[in-house]
Amino acid sequence: MTKTPLLEIEDLHAKVADKEIIKGFNLTINEGEVHAIMGPNGAGKSTLSNVICGKPGYEITSGSIRFKGKDLTKMSAEDRAREGIFLCMQYPVEIPGVAVTTFLKHSINAVRKYHNLPELDTMEFVKMVREEGKKLGIDNEMLKRPVNVGFSGGEKKRLETLQMSILKPAFAIFDEADSGLDVDALKVVAEGMNGLRDGKRSMLIITHYQRLLQYVVPDFVHVYADGHIVKSGDKTLAAEIEKDGYAAYTREK
Amino acid sequence: MTTQKPEIIDESGDKYKYGFVTDIAADSAPKGLNEDIIRLISQKKGEPEWLLDFRLKAYEFWQTMKEPTWAKLSYDKINYQDLSYYSAPKQKAKPKSLAEVDPELLQTYEKLGIPLKEQEALAGVVAVDAVFDSVSVATTYRQKLAEQGIIFCSISEAVKEHPDLVKQYLGSVVPYTDNFFACLNSAVFTDGSFVYIPKGVRCPMELSTYFRINAKNTGQFERTLIVADDESYVSYLEGCTAPQRDENQLHAAIVEIVVNKNAEVKYSTVQNWYPGDKDGKGGVYNFVTKRAACRGENSKVSWTQVETGSAVTWKYPSCVLQGDNSSGEFYSVAITNNHQQADTGTKMIHIGKNTTSKIISKGISAGFSNQTYRGLVRVAPNADNARNYSQCDSLLIGTHCGSHTVPYVENRNKTAKLEHEATTSKISDEQLFYCEQRGIGEEEAVSLIVNGFCKEVMQHLPMEFAIEAAKLINISLEGSVG
Amino acid sequence: MGGLVQKVKLFGEYIPWLQAMRDKGALTFDDLGLPTPKTEAWKYTKLRDLNTDDLVIEPSNFLAEMRVTAEEACGCHHEDEGCGCHHHGEGCCCGHHHEEGECHCHEEGHVCECQQKLHVPFDAYVIHFEKGKMIPPFPDFPRGVEVMNLMEAVITEDAKEYLGKVADIKLHPFAALNNAYMEEGIYLCVHKNVKVDKPIVLINHTKSGEENIFFNIRNLLVLEQGAEAEFVEWYNYTGAVKSRYFANVVNEIVLGKNAKLSHYKLQDEAFKANHIALSVVKQKADSNYHNFCLQRGANIGRNEVKVLLTDENASAEVDAAYIMSGWATLDTTTDILHLSPRTFSSQLVKGVVGGEAKGVFQGKIHIAKDAVQTEGNQLHRALLLSDTAEIDVKPELEIFADDVKCSHGAASGELDENQLFYMQSRGIGREEAKQILIDAYLEEALDKVKNPEIRAWLSDYAHAPQE
Repeated sequence: MTKTPLLEIEDLHAKVADKEIIKGFNLTINEGEVHAIMGPNGAGKSTLSNVICGKPGYEITSGSIRFKGKDLTKMSAEDRAREGIFLCMQYPVEIPGVAVTTFLKHSINAVRKYHNLPELDTMEFVKMVREEGKKLGIDNEMLKRPVNVGFSGGEKKRLETLQMSILKPAFAIFDEADSGLDVDALKVVAEGMNGLRDGKRSMLIITHYQRLLQYVVPDFVHVYADGHIVKSGDKTLAAEIEKDGYAAYTREK
Repeated sequence: MTTQKPEIIDESGDKYKYGFVTDIAADSAPKGLNEDIIRLISQKKGEPEWLLDFRLKAYEFWQTMKEPTWAKLSYDKINYQDLSYYSAPKQKAKPKSLAEVDPELLQTYEKLGIPLKEQEALAGVVAVDAVFDSVSVATTYRQKLAEQGIIFCSISEAVKEHPDLVKQYLGSVVPYTDNFFACLNSAVFTDGSFVYIPKGVRCPMELSTYFRINAKNTGQFERTLIVADDESYVSYLEGCTAPQRDENQLHAAIVEIVVNKNAEVKYSTVQNWYPGDKDGKGGVYNFVTKRAACRGENSKVSWTQVETGSAVTWKYPSCVLQGDNSSGEFYSVAITNNHQQADTGTKMIHIGKNTTSKIISKGISAGFSNQTYRGLVRVAPNADNARNYSQCDSLLIGTHCGSHTVPYVENRNKTAKLEHEATTSKISDEQLFYCEQRGIGEEEAVSLIVNGFCKEVMQHLPMEFAIEAAKLINISLEGSVG
Repeated sequence: MGGLVQKVKLFGEYIPWLQAMRDKGALTFDDLGLPTPKTEAWKYTKLRDLNTDDLVIEPSNFLAEMRVTAEEACGCHHEDEGCGCHHHGEGCCCGHHHEEGECHCHEEGHVCECQQKLHVPFDAYVIHFEKGKMIPPFPDFPRGVEVMNLMEAVITEDAKEYLGKVADIKLHPFAALNNAYMEEGIYLCVHKNVKVDKPIVLINHTKSGEENIFFNIRNLLVLEQGAEAEFVEWYNYTGAVKSRYFANVVNEIVLGKNAKLSHYKLQDEAFKANHIALSVVKQKADSNYHNFCLQRGANIGRNEVKVLLTDENASAEVDAAYIMSGWATLDTTTDILHLSPRTFSSQLVKGVVGGEAKGVFQGKIHIAKDAVQTEGNQLHRALLLSDTAEIDVKPELEIFADDVKCSHGAASGELDENQLFYMQSRGIGREEAKQILIDAYLEEALDKVKNPEIRAWLSDYAHAPQE
């Protein structure tokens, strides 16, 4: 079976406020693959996800990022999202006054419009959101609340997962998806993630700990330090790191 | 049928006005303000002696007054002798069809989802009275209202048909000595609405539906008087969500509301006068005095405003809480863009015992605009247990605008509990990125966030109005991002 | 002839730049006049009680002062036996007046009032003023700390660079007046990277008699790059409390890059006296200024602090407390100007108002265009104790930059009946319970004072029961 590459990153260099954070990063993710990137705190893991998603404030100095063969670096953040890149954020921001449903409706319709699909009818939309919500333990009351305002850590992650299950992205990045979650919440999130594994959809899990990887088993594991991948392997690499820590990878220089 | 004649069209004064214009035009309408002009206005309107006296006294006092300068507003000096003091001073050639109308204006109507017939009327393609099927609808409404003893008519008509009521209440909340612009209005007001809700009556409908079109061209000096008698209720909507190309530079209106025992008045405004062009040329100067007197026990008044228009806004809808247990509320969204300036807020004067007031103000400044929230909360020595909660939030969009908050709090009663909070912020990059990451474009994201910011206020608008107001907010902010 | 504008002979009239400043002050005051209720900056502080007609300006004794030595200064007693006061020529202020300069008040363990008023209960460099005039000598300052009488600094031209250039008199009529009488006050300069080891305290003691005197104090404080200091102002009185003397104080403060100044003040003037003060602070990059003022005396007391955060990363905290009764008006006015990006300010002001007194708080945060990523926060809270007390508040935000975080809050109310009852039910008397709650109320503001000794000292005054 030939593999179709979805995301191709080649010799990427990027900086934030004149400081180079990503230094020669290479990674190819094919359709249906789940990759995990593990790295010590401060290695620039979040920078990587932000650069892929086009967050302002990051400057790519050289290298390329291609998604479905298209040059991502020229696209706005919203177009990257519409192309099918979803970033499940570590600290999703609060948007006061904007109800979850309102937000989701704007989001899904913007994506549909991009793909020349008609906007969802309100009834249809509400039904879908409620159904998906139910699976994640999100009740109607929570759907009426403003986006992330006063949400607990677990609620925020569940809302992120809900958005992902509605937008059905081709590629999802999980930035420290397990941070601040207890075991039960972690399982719910993991279930949401596993539910999206269909052999076609790809994922990139960025994490410090191996914890989440016990529930969502990756095809590949990469160790990321000092702005690039220092070692790649399969899921056993994660266990290794859990045992020995990152020290062996951060000493170089 | 002729007794039914003074329908809505007359109520807004258009008939008088047009009558006027033809009359005066022949005499080549004189500009300027003097006693003769005031006598002329009064005579044309067939007013009784007492009203002429009221006008003349106001005029005499006005001459001793100075235009206020304390607001954070700067505008070219107004030459009061260079204005015409009866309405519709200029009758421009009407466009013959929508094809001749400014496409930008039509685009806005489109975005607001305004029906074609109304678009025609708003753009002045067709005379209002010719187009509006709802005149009959309005008449039906009026009959229905009359059955319950509710009076809703133009103030000129009220002067003729209900002189005692008008005489009793006119100027009782806003005396002509109140301020420079109110004084000017008292001398020269042309028309406006009069509402009387008798004891124990709940007005069955929002007094609003007609207003989109009929409130147009009520003139520069509108005067509204609303009296809610004991145990009554009314919700009144003023204004128009569609932008009006009004040629009048100066507007100085007065709204007076009297609320008696156990009565409640809700007054909602959507103000969208012409704000001037992108470079700040033209636009309406809007100097409005709005005040409600909660005279009776347990009386309640609530002001809700969405201010997006006018080049200059000077407006402080206020509540005088005289009756024990009376309450006042002020909910405001003000949006300024380009070179607009707004100095707006409220006054809550606590006089009775156990009076409560609440202020929620949301200001959004964009472009080169400047906006000020100016508010006063005063607790008189005998206003035991007065309560006020004020919250003023400002949002700035862009680096050339200004946002200011000037609340005054004066407390002379130890049992009063007063709280004021204000914040100023911008739409954070994090919020924008979050929306964008979910596929929402920047402009849409901004409008989503802004509407969320305003939500607390918008939910106080009647439903139908709220939807249009939300669209209006988006339109007002167009071109402010990026 | 009395009044605010009088012809007096001042030191250094032959120094052109000094005299020009005085003349300009006089002209500006003449132009501005006294604030009226229509003057926005003085909207709530009515000056009709100021009663300036019979104010007397005492003749300059500047030259005399310069000559006086420590021994000559105090005629009444000596360090090991006496009360430590420095009232030369007039004997002791405690009322046991002796022409010969011998004070007998120390018999029977009596503590002279002026001793309390002149004694700083923490280790400090103390500079004494009486009725607005400096009483030599200066304490010995360590190296790198230069303290002079202001006129000395005028002669040496040390003061020339900043004097009169920090405070804009066109905006402040009383500062203009202060310019016109510029003579008394200190010049303090802390040299580069010098950290002053002890607080520098300026005590102005007014021993009030029959005459209603009017005096002006002008201080200029310059902290060079990296310098650190604590400066304390203490205004108090002994004698006839009914004296309507008028103190008009202006401080000009310049903080160099990375300099740090803690500026504390206790305003404890006689209850018929008037005290109007303005401090204007100019801050360079990375500097920090903390101001805490406790007002508890005077008929009209106004403490106005204006901070110009002119360079990046400058920060200021302006906190205050006031406690009052009687007929007083105590006014706390602040004006924080954020003029550069990434500047920070915070303010906490708490007040307790009883009797027929009136508390005024006006606080303004101004953020200039381009002063982005700035944060300004302000909170004012007041407690009303009586039916006749009044509180007027005007917090103001004036913002011309979009990327900022600003907030202000104001609240007023009375003591919580439930809390009072709770304490009463545990056997605490009602008055005592009130005092406990008031103390706790002011504590939050006093906690802002970082120096624990100074905080304890101020606390004693904040908690002292009002008459």
